[in-house]
Amino acid sequence: MHSLIQLSIVVLLLPLLSFVILIFFNRRLPRRGDFVGVGILGTAFALSAYIFWTVIVQTYDPAFRVAWDFTWIDLGQVPGIGPLQIKMGIVIDNLTAIMLAMVTLISLLVHLYSTGYMAGDKNYGRYYAFLGIFTFSMLGIVLSDNLFSIYIFWELVGLSSYLLIGFFFEKDSAADAQKKAFLANRVGDIGMWLGILILYSQFHTFSFTEIYANLAAGKFAMSNAWLTAAGLLLFMGCVGKSAQFPLHIWLPDAMEGPTPVSALIHAATMVAAGVYFVARIFVVLTPDALHVIAFIGAFTAFMAATIAITQNDIKRVLAYSTVSQLGYMVLGLGVGAYSAALFHLVTHAFFKACLFLGSGAIIHAMHHEQDMRWMGGLRKHMPWTFATFTLATLALAGLPLTSGFMSKDAILAGAIGFATAEGGGVYYLIPVLGFFSAMLTAFYMGRQIWLVFFGESRTHLKPADDHHSAHHAHSTHDTHNDDHHAAHEVHEVSWNMRAPLVILAALSVFFVYSPNPLDGAQGWFMKMIQTPPTVVGSYQSAPSSEKLAVGSQQSATEGENSALSTQHSALSEQHSAPEAEHSALSTQHSALKESTQHSALTNERQAEIAHASHAAHFPAIYISSIMVILGITLAGIVYVFRIIDPDKTAEAIRPLYLFSLNKWYWDEIYDATFIRGSMLISKMLSWFDTNIIDGIVNGVALIVKKVAFANNSFDKYVVDGLVNFTAFSVNTTGAVLRKLQTGKVQTYVVMLLAVVFGYFVFYFTRLIY
Amino acid sequence: MLSLIVFLPIIAGLIILAVPSSQKQIIRIVSLLAALAQGVLAVLIWRAYDPSLPGITAAPGGSPLGSFQFVEKVPWIGLKLGAMGSLNIEYFLGVDGISVTMIILTALISAIGVLSSWTIQKQVKGYFILYNLLASAMMGCFVALDFFLFYVFWELMLLPMYFLIGIWGGPNREYAAIKFFLYTLFGSVFMLLVMIGLYFSVIDPVTGNHTFSLVAMANQANYLQDAILGPHNVMWRYIAFAVLFVGFAIKVPMFPFHTWLPDAHVEAPTPISVILAGVLLKLGTYGMMRINFPLFPEVFHASMYVIGIFGAINIIYGAFCALAQQDLKKMVAYSSISHMGYVLLGLAAGNSEGMIGALYQMFNHGTITAMLFLLVGVIYDRAHTRQIDKFGGLASYMPVYAAIVTVAWFASLGLPGLSGFISEALVFVGAFSSITTRYIAMVSVLGIVFGAAYLLWSLQRMFLGKRKPDAAYDLEVGADGHEHIHFHDWKGKIDLDGRELTMLVPLVVITIFLGIYPMPVLGMITSSVNKLVEVLTPLAIR
Repeated sequence: MHSLIQLSIVVLLLPLLSFVILIFFNRRLPRRGDFVGVGILGTAFALSAYIFWTVIVQTYDPAFRVAWDFTWIDLGQVPGIGPLQIKMGIVIDNLTAIMLAMVTLISLLVHLYSTGYMAGDKNYGRYYAFLGIFTFSMLGIVLSDNLFSIYIFWELVGLSSYLLIGFFFEKDSAADAQKKAFLANRVGDIGMWLGILILYSQFHTFSFTEIYANLAAGKFAMSNAWLTAAGLLLFMGCVGKSAQFPLHIWLPDAMEGPTPVSALIHAATMVAAGVYFVARIFVVLTPDALHVIAFIGAFTAFMAATIAITQNDIKRVLAYSTVSQLGYMVLGLGVGAYSAALFHLVTHAFFKACLFLGSGAIIHAMHHEQDMRWMGGLRKHMPWTFATFTLATLALAGLPLTSGFMSKDAILAGAIGFATAEGGGVYYLIPVLGFFSAMLTAFYMGRQIWLVFFGESRTHLKPADDHHSAHHAHSTHDTHNDDHHAAHEVHEVSWNMRAPLVILAALSVFFVYSPNPLDGAQGWFMKMIQTPPTVVGSYQSAPSSEKLAVGSQQSATEGENSALSTQHSALSEQHSAPEAEHSALSTQHSALKESTQHSALTNERQAEIAHASHAAHFPAIYISSIMVILGITLAGIVYVFRIIDPDKTAEAIRPLYLFSLNKWYWDEIYDATFIRGSMLISKMLSWFDTNIIDGIVNGVALIVKKVAFANNSFDKYVVDGLVNFTAFSVNTTGAVLRKLQTGKVQTYVVMLLAVVFGYFVFYFTRLIY
Repeated sequence: MLSLIVFLPIIAGLIILAVPSSQKQIIRIVSLLAALAQGVLAVLIWRAYDPSLPGITAAPGGSPLGSFQFVEKVPWIGLKLGAMGSLNIEYFLGVDGISVTMIILTALISAIGVLSSWTIQKQVKGYFILYNLLASAMMGCFVALDFFLFYVFWELMLLPMYFLIGIWGGPNREYAAIKFFLYTLFGSVFMLLVMIGLYFSVIDPVTGNHTFSLVAMANQANYLQDAILGPHNVMWRYIAFAVLFVGFAIKVPMFPFHTWLPDAHVEAPTPISVILAGVLLKLGTYGMMRINFPLFPEVFHASMYVIGIFGAINIIYGAFCALAQQDLKKMVAYSSISHMGYVLLGLAAGNSEGMIGALYQMFNHGTITAMLFLLVGVIYDRAHTRQIDKFGGLASYMPVYAAIVTVAWFASLGLPGLSGFISEALVFVGAFSSITTRYIAMVSVLGIVFGAAYLLWSLQRMFLGKRKPDAAYDLEVGADGHEHIHFHDWKGKIDLDGRELTMLVPLVVITIFLGIYPMPVLGMITSSVNKLVEVLTPLAIR
């Protein structure tokens, strides 16, 4: 076993240990055992940092990969298949190493931050236990080398998310939110599960490498539509977990959980697991599946951004922003900007965690006020929070010199490249939605910064009845003194909450990732994470001869395929090769070679997109910068200089405003259709069960009973009647005959004479006739 | 060994018969000792069991007993019938991978049932005599390898169950008891006819006589060509299969023969519900695997699609009905119907993954549902109501109870890391891999979502949030300033007491352990199920 594997197993199990210790013994430990959680996560992070150092810094090889597995379930000699085992295993490649370090770091910072934020909560120890099981499950997803174990940990993060969203379970809204989150995720999960089953049913293995090898060898026996379906069904898992349309509805409600949890689970790590998963299965996605994914991502990015601009709750703005940014990542994967999407995953994790923890600091300082309308002027009271929050906001908005700028620009460039390569038309909708959402992002984040940190405090403007509800929510919350008028009492949070903010903000600056602030592709991240060549190239339906020819040419230069992003010049030469030659070439290939040839074809598609994306790099920078500046300026015009009054504008476009404020009415739509529909069906079936099925059973019983009664009557009056009649007849006859048997000789003589006489009468009568 | 494990409870019952009925504690302890001894024997069997031997049927040329283990075989009833030959009934017990897990499950659930019966106060002596009779009959069903003997044990179960529900049950107990009794009897009457038909169709390869041996019956070579259920009598074989299937399906219970179950559960006392859901339902699917399918493999192969559809109906229909229930126990009863649907679906797949999953699901459903019914009993004892809407916020006041409920509920909804997940996953893997049941599996996954829906919703309504205004409990502010819960006329501990923890903790541990490391159970069943699948697969496909 590779030493890195051993280390990673320790990293994986450490948070589980934290969970076990804390769930059973937190009440017996000083400080409810929070130091156990922080200490264990610190160790886990140190080990992960070592893994990161070894893999990324020392080895620095895009193809680095170590794996290990063991037999978990042995099904023996299965008829028709042979020996069949279900294996569990661990894989460490560059992506895993980066994710490990990222997850453990953010988890550690959240653990540390929570010592301040959650202090005094009555279930403080349990909170740390739940954080432990979450971190364990998340690391499990990151380390999995097969679909089955990823599904297991996938559901387990769902459980931890459920437990933590409902941490304040006495609040009905929290209990509703946790149930909603779990169920929405389960809807996604059944899709994912069916996708896994499609692949399993073909190859009888869950392992990524084995499935991909079998696919590449052309062993997928079902139709190509099933392959596209498998990809889309697997993507459904991401739709649930990463809150993509149409299952995005749970994430904003998940903000009912404690704010550090929102930072860790619902911004940085778990929701990004969906994107991570799509990256892991990227090679099985057919172009058709990728198109759907790209459109869903673009639509989600746009829709969530339009909702975020009107929300008043500081956490809800960030939640919709998360949905929107996850949409970008999904869009990125859909258009084939693989490394850009993952780059955005990591940069977003840091700056969004920073934003959430910052908002937690604000909420903490404001005594659980979450409504931005009653904030304002906080920059003077909370300089550290202000500085870090602003930096992270700039990264989210995508201003140059930040990490978010590089990653978002790479995705948008990829989107333009994709649209160009696919031949334009409706595909341009994807970059257009992307850029427009970038502007909206800048606008709503600008709005948030202005409303929260600038101007004067508006605490006193808060209506009285709102006070009451906030007070109410608060009283169930924890043990802080509840004077929420006191904006002047607002002060900076303590060091254990400040340090995570500073670290996360520092990780939002460009030089962490790339020496060139304008080009993430020059940084270590995008060099280490490169688009894997697809394995489903051989399943394309009837490619045009032109593309086929290009593919066949390329198969001659197979070595070049691995480093797609840097090979664009070589590929563009191939494009210009004369067409007549291609058709001649393509016919000469044998059937066996055709599979590799087709596989090269989709590589060619990937290469084409990569090439076009590279060309689109600078246009993307210009357009997105313009959009961002436009957005921030607009926010400034509206909320700082008040040239446009936001309230009057809202009034002028009231239907649109309400549409956004009410989140496009998705909750209402789902409530009216799926939820009420399910309840109606369940009531109907229950009625059917009680009245029809059981009615038939009882009816049959009743009929049997009636028949039995009838039978009884028959028995009593007919059968028994016959018996009784027989008895009666015998009785009567006996009584009659008894009278004859008198015992007197005279009577017998008379009877004898009578008989003899009768005989004579009979005899003579016969003689006469 | 097997005779001992079967008849131990009856021996205990006989001892109890001699104990005066005022000595309640002695009666309980005798029953507990018998159950524990049964448990020890089950563990011994488990340790001594050789998982490499498949069982199921006798290999051609091999031992006529097949590779069954712990076999006990003596002639029991032999009648000379003149021209009709002789009636040979054997006392034939044996174990293979299909039954060995069920033996362990039965011993476990019986012992937990005894503990759970501790609170029964009415006619303790009669109760425990019937209880022990039931425990023996159940165990007997799982080890009998002679169809006649199986039938005897099968019928023997009915009687104590009828009285246990009919005397110690809830307000509507007589209706529920008679419904259960008649429904099951209806199924077993047909079983009797098929059994006789089979007897005259099968020849013991060793003696040349007709036989009731299931081992001989599971080998198609032993059938007389022109007998009523011989290979040429296709129509009668289909009819016999269907009739047997209905007999077992009633026990499962399969839609549309399921309505006795919610009634029986709602009326039955907690320990009887535990036995009913934990063991009795498994006898239906066990009977299918042991008798129904291997005796008529070609009919099974033709019926997989239909069985799968009924499985899917059970899964989804049961889940929807559970969603609509107000009575917690009725909800759990419908969840049983839904979960037994997974077993049917796995069997219908007809491949190893599906059937292993089905058998493992039988075991896991036994432990998980036992836990669910015990937990329902806990709250019913305290509050005297099971209405889901009459609680709210219990998690704050009964934390240990709430924690175990959470584990049990999540185990029931198939959370990975808990045993139910692995069996459901294997069932789906099998059902999807089989081309026959692929589309049925695609529909059945909806059960995963609706299963989560009714469980989480009930969890929320009972345990989360705050006390409902019309709740079945009161809150009092104690001396320490904290709120405490108070049930009317409940003198015991508010949270789980020692006895309740003794029943629940082993089940929780088993559920978690088998969810993380399933091989201790799976390892015992794989070779048998693989053999069964081989027997069931028609030669043409094999």
